Amino acid sequence: MNWHEVVKAMLPEHLLLAGMVILLLLEILRGRPRDGFVAAFLTLAAAAAAALTLHVQGHVGAPFPGHFSVGPDASLAKFALIALALPVVLISRDDFAETRYYVLLLAALYGACLLVSSDSLPTLFLGLELMSMPVYALVLLAQLRADSAEAALKYLVLGGTATATFLMGVALLYGWSGSMSTATFAAALGSSDTLPVAGVVLVVASLFVKAAIVPFHGWAPDAYEGASVPVTAFMATIIKAGVLFAALRLFGTAPVMRPLVDVLAVLPLVSMIWGNVAAIRQTSFRRMIAYSSIAHAGYLFYALLGAGPGRAQAVIFYVIVYGIMNVLAFTVLPRGTDDERSDRLESLQGLYQRRPFAAIMLAVSMLSLAGLPPLPGFVAKFLVFRNVLAAGYTGYAVLGLVASYLGIYFYLRVIQYMFMDPATADQPAGQPRRLALAASLLCLVPAIVLAFFPGWLLDRF
Amino acid sequence: MGESAWLNGLLWLPALGMVAVALLPRGRDSLVRSFTFGCMVLQFAIAAFLYQRFDGTVAGLQFATDVPWIRDWGVGYRIGLDGLNVLLVLLTAFLGPLLVAGAWSAVHKDVKLFHAMVLFIQFAMLGTFLAQDLFLFYVFWEAMLIPMFLIIGLWGGERRIYATLKFVLYTAFGSILMLAALIYLVLHAHGTNGYMTFDLRHLSGSQLPLNTQLWLLSAFALSFAIKVPMFPLHTWLPDAHVEAPTTGSVILAGVLLKMGTYGFMKLGFPLFPEAARAMMPVIMTLAVVSIVYGACLALVQTDIKKIIAYSSISHLGYVMLGLASLDLIGIQGAILQMVSHGLVAGGLFLLVGMIYERTHSRAVADYGGLARMLPVFSVFFAILTLASIGLPTTSGFAGEFMVLLGAFNAAWPAHLAGNDMPLALAVIAVSGVVLGALYMLWLAQRILFGEARAPHAPLADLDARESVILATIVFAIFAIGLFPREPLAKTELAAREFQQRVAGETIQPGSER
Repeated sequence: MNWHEVVKAMLPEHLLLAGMVILLLLEILRGRPRDGFVAAFLTLAAAAAAALTLHVQGHVGAPFPGHFSVGPDASLAKFALIALALPVVLISRDDFAETRYYVLLLAALYGACLLVSSDSLPTLFLGLELMSMPVYALVLLAQLRADSAEAALKYLVLGGTATATFLMGVALLYGWSGSMSTATFAAALGSSDTLPVAGVVLVVASLFVKAAIVPFHGWAPDAYEGASVPVTAFMATIIKAGVLFAALRLFGTAPVMRPLVDVLAVLPLVSMIWGNVAAIRQTSFRRMIAYSSIAHAGYLFYALLGAGPGRAQAVIFYVIVYGIMNVLAFTVLPRGTDDERSDRLESLQGLYQRRPFAAIMLAVSMLSLAGLPPLPGFVAKFLVFRNVLAAGYTGYAVLGLVASYLGIYFYLRVIQYMFMDPATADQPAGQPRRLALAASLLCLVPAIVLAFFPGWLLDRF
Repeated sequence: MGESAWLNGLLWLPALGMVAVALLPRGRDSLVRSFTFGCMVLQFAIAAFLYQRFDGTVAGLQFATDVPWIRDWGVGYRIGLDGLNVLLVLLTAFLGPLLVAGAWSAVHKDVKLFHAMVLFIQFAMLGTFLAQDLFLFYVFWEAMLIPMFLIIGLWGGERRIYATLKFVLYTAFGSILMLAALIYLVLHAHGTNGYMTFDLRHLSGSQLPLNTQLWLLSAFALSFAIKVPMFPLHTWLPDAHVEAPTTGSVILAGVLLKMGTYGFMKLGFPLFPEAARAMMPVIMTLAVVSIVYGACLALVQTDIKKIIAYSSISHLGYVMLGLASLDLIGIQGAILQMVSHGLVAGGLFLLVGMIYERTHSRAVADYGGLARMLPVFSVFFAILTLASIGLPTTSGFAGEFMVLLGAFNAAWPAHLAGNDMPLALAVIAVSGVVLGALYMLWLAQRILFGEARAPHAPLADLDARESVILATIVFAIFAIGLFPREPLAKTELAAREFQQRVAGETIQPGSER
């Protein structure tokens, strides 16, 4: 163990941990509600700055060799995760006065950072669980609706199953190779023996559950709808990103060979199609976003089909753009006291007349999620499908593109509601809030930068 | 580099104008209108200046900019004027101020958003024409969808939401397959060139097996043919045109439809020459079917806007026929016909919009004897009708005549060699001219002459603003019709290059220009 490295390379994690301790102390000592929000925001800002510094310096180090290592890509991924949490925290203050909310949030982020840097399967597992556990509680925390508990339980049971599946897969891989390193997984990708393939399939299946890939997606719409808005934003972006980074860590740059490619391509493809088709029928905004995120999880796993450094580029860029745009949508969403009604898509009708800024932001977000240029979502989509084509899977690429086309309709329908439909009388007022505005700008500025200069981020790999 | 600043200014002026319009205070509608109009006039001035400075005797790009954009993939911000786009850029810039002036009294809802969207689409259209990089082209090509979706969906007629969704979903489907083909082509070129680039000058699919080329060209062609639109992919057009506000119709007819034909000319055919030659009979046939079918449908419509919409399908069939003839005169005619149709159809849609503002009816049966009631309107309507038919001295004549001449030129050697199909197609295409005269003259006869009637009569004749708009268009129509040599001199070299590249037997990839 290298103490200097432990301090330096793990600085973002240390800051998050320190933040959690401070929050708990605040809870015990003072108990003033607003303090938690401020402390959490400052912690996240400091951790994001630390991760960015490590990335810019190109720091490479292994505080715990064989278990935990840091490189520029990992630092960038951590920065993305932590920075995406900033706007989420900004929109949380009105829903959550309790300090424990922020502790859970930071704990989940700590887990996500851990898995991004993991070199061994136990560390990865630790990170994955540390990321998931707090979210089960977060879903339940708001209790705005009667069915929040049901959603949280569903999520917990399925998440537990995923955990067991993951461990079973790891056990098989260990039995095959006698090693706990993540490289075992990458090596197994090229194998066609039953044991390693079964191990890979089990591990991937557990990731599919956590990322809500069809047919393991059943929990997502309920959980997204049952949770409060900030928690939904957190799940849809940061948790999904964490799962994909875990997959990226496992896959490395190794090519995927024949029997496994089809497993890895078909289910994400079905997710894209089903997510995009089912989203059309939704009447609740958050359920729609849940199906949209199911489709996007499909694109993200598609990005793993290509090998080499392009894989990390595609996943990280996609996660950043998708995360920014998703959080942007949640920051401007009209909010009312009656959560169930303000969540209905019809409550967006005539939004442009009432709150033009919010409507334009939501339109930008939807168009980017639909992958239409000149918005950054297009570059992300392009990157994924370029990788799939470059790997030689023309058929999968074309089918995936057609599946992404199916998604355009429901994103446009949101714009139709906001701009083209007249407002109905009993809409929730949805006062614009200053913190939410700050959160929107926090998403909007990088989105504009990435729209005009995608190369600025893409050339960093 | 000093000269390229003008072209960048032309492209970015509407984009900056859009941001400025968004920042203007709410409720100052006339300020927004004047500001947008000023932007458009300035933009036209720059375009006219560039057109004057454009040297038709020099091959290659002029006023070009080429800076890396996404270095990792070889994507560049590459724009430039060449013989293929110079006239279309001028047309786009020319219609810009007229769009704003034409909507002056027609748009009262969300004026700021409307003008921002008009500037946005102007930016996207200019960008599509100017792009010399495949990635940049695609970005601009798709970006056009967003403002058009809003323009039709917000300010359109009763069934506007249906029409706008149909428009977007149709066009987006074509583009998605083009995207797949585009990435495939670039990855292939990466293999042969040894470096990754989206620069159009370094891309060519001619080393691919013919079968693959055919697939890729089909993907590109699907996207372009939807935009043109060619039979049988035209069904979105009548809905979009009828439901769109006047501005939307003018943008659609004036510029947007030319994107499809320009796409064939700039990308589809030159990138896959062997496949293009193999597909030429199919494309020619579809072009001729579009000419005749569009004309026949125009003949039976009862809505004035629909008649002009279907006439667009017919007129753009000529453009495709001219391009597919691979004859220099035919190609030149196709380019001229694009510009001519932009002016004529744009002018006709403006006229329909002006009468619709007064009567709120577009039904042919509602009108009669307008020649006595609205003399100024009727004079312009008559002139534009004759230009649409292609009467000599108007731009329509020059374009259609050259296209047909080109088609016969190309058909004759085939005929001598025993293949009569091209000749038969050319003969059928000529019959389209007769049909065109029939539906347009019949329309003019029904609404201009006979017993005087119109909803909400008596009507005010065109005011000074409307007359100036139309007079400008009529002036341009006659200028091209009387002096076609001037614009053709700027495009000839590029048309020849296109012809050689597509028709030539030996193509050296990467060495063109």
